[in-house]
Amino acid sequence: MENSNPVYKDKSYGQYREMLYSYDENGNFEKSVSYHGEPDRVVLEQAWDLFNERAEEAKQKVLAGKVSPIAYYMEKILADPMGLSMMAGVPIWKVKLHIKPFFFKRLNDKTLAKYAEAFNISMEQLKNFEQLTGK
Amino acid sequence: MTELNFEHRQAGHCESGVTSNLLNYHKLSLSEPMAFGIGAGLFFSYLPFLKMQHAPVTSFRVWPGMVFSRTTKVLGIKTHIYRFSNPKASMDKLDEVLAQGFPVGLQVGTFHLPFFPPEYRMHYNMHNMVVYGKTDDSYLISDTVMERKVRISYEDLVRVRFAKGAFAPRGRMYYPYSFPSSFDLKQAIIKGIRKTAGNMVGVPFPLIGTKGIRYLAKQMRQWPEKLGEEKASYYLGQVLRMEEEVGTAGAGFRFIYGTFLDEAGTFLKQDWIKEVAVEMGHNANYWRQFSYLGSRNCKKRSGPGQSFDELADMLMECADREEKIFRNLVKIR
Repeated sequence: MENSNPVYKDKSYGQYREMLYSYDENGNFEKSVSYHGEPDRVVLEQAWDLFNERAEEAKQKVLAGKVSPIAYYMEKILADPMGLSMMAGVPIWKVKLHIKPFFFKRLNDKTLAKYAEAFNISMEQLKNFEQLTGK
Repeated sequence: MTELNFEHRQAGHCESGVTSNLLNYHKLSLSEPMAFGIGAGLFFSYLPFLKMQHAPVTSFRVWPGMVFSRTTKVLGIKTHIYRFSNPKASMDKLDEVLAQGFPVGLQVGTFHLPFFPPEYRMHYNMHNMVVYGKTDDSYLISDTVMERKVRISYEDLVRVRFAKGAFAPRGRMYYPYSFPSSFDLKQAIIKGIRKTAGNMVGVPFPLIGTKGIRYLAKQMRQWPEKLGEEKASYYLGQVLRMEEEVGTAGAGFRFIYGTFLDEAGTFLKQDWIKEVAVEMGHNANYWRQFSYLGSRNCKKRSGPGQSFDELADMLMECADREEKIFRNLVKIR
């Protein structure tokens, strides 16, 4: 079956077929394997747009020195401070502090490693944000 | 190296698909809607105090793990369910069980799942899949979302099994190991339907079941004023994502449940259940329509007739229909 899906902005999206159930006018329930339809695409794209927007915003703020790189990577893995606190194993009030550059600069390597693992990146990327990710 | 002769069947809902496939391996054929219905998977809850991906949680399903445990319990099948704190121990146990010749169901997080469709890779820790074999460097996976069997490396598997965050799977693995000689499928179906009906109309709490749908509708009317157009549309998008996303088979499991009722009516030889199934089908189509109109709103080209008021009215209608359906179904004997 051809991909009848209207194309996503990101070309790697919408390439998989899934099992869908339906009910037709004759009173039969049917199942078919097909690409997901337009409503799904619209709402998924809306979510990804928001995530990308938030990440971009955070990036600009990091480059301007208003927040620490943690804020950017947090948006990158689609987390909020609560989620990040669970993923990295750092208390939430500390996460909120570490988002501020003042406290981020004073972080020890042990805590940085925890964050780096949660973000799935190297510690260097966290420390040298501008050189490695910024531009 | 082990590889079990596991039949991969794609399914609409991950957990009931996994349950059905696991039982099928042990020569007990149970269709996916049947597993879903007996496990009483249909549900509704709206939890405004719990935020996921920056919007309140709306759930169309029961707690993860319930479908498998209920289905097997009701049918008298013995199962092992493990949770781990140590990743190494969990992988060793997995190898051991595979070597004994049992395919194993796993609860995993989808964010780091490498073969998963990229558009769905959000934090969702309630996904289920089956491991049916192992080669030198990778594990063989049957994931009901995918059309074909897939593979995953050891490191990736550890990562997804110990995904962190809300509803963390903590390496949860489960498999059936002992089967009784005969099943009372009839009683199982009746129990399943009663449980679902009870969940939908019998819980005296405003956020659950049909009451939850009504509560959501009431809140939805206030969203544009309270939150502003953009955020309101995002909140609506979240409801629709939970309803239509992968793993619901469309319309928040309503289609799959209708299929189950249809099959149940045939099996129990009770025609009125088939009539209810027809109603369920229309109800599911109505939900589908709701998501079509709703998604138009999310696209920001909402004309007259797709306002939040209109959508809330549709939700109210859905609640009424479902209330009628489940009040009927409570009476099943």
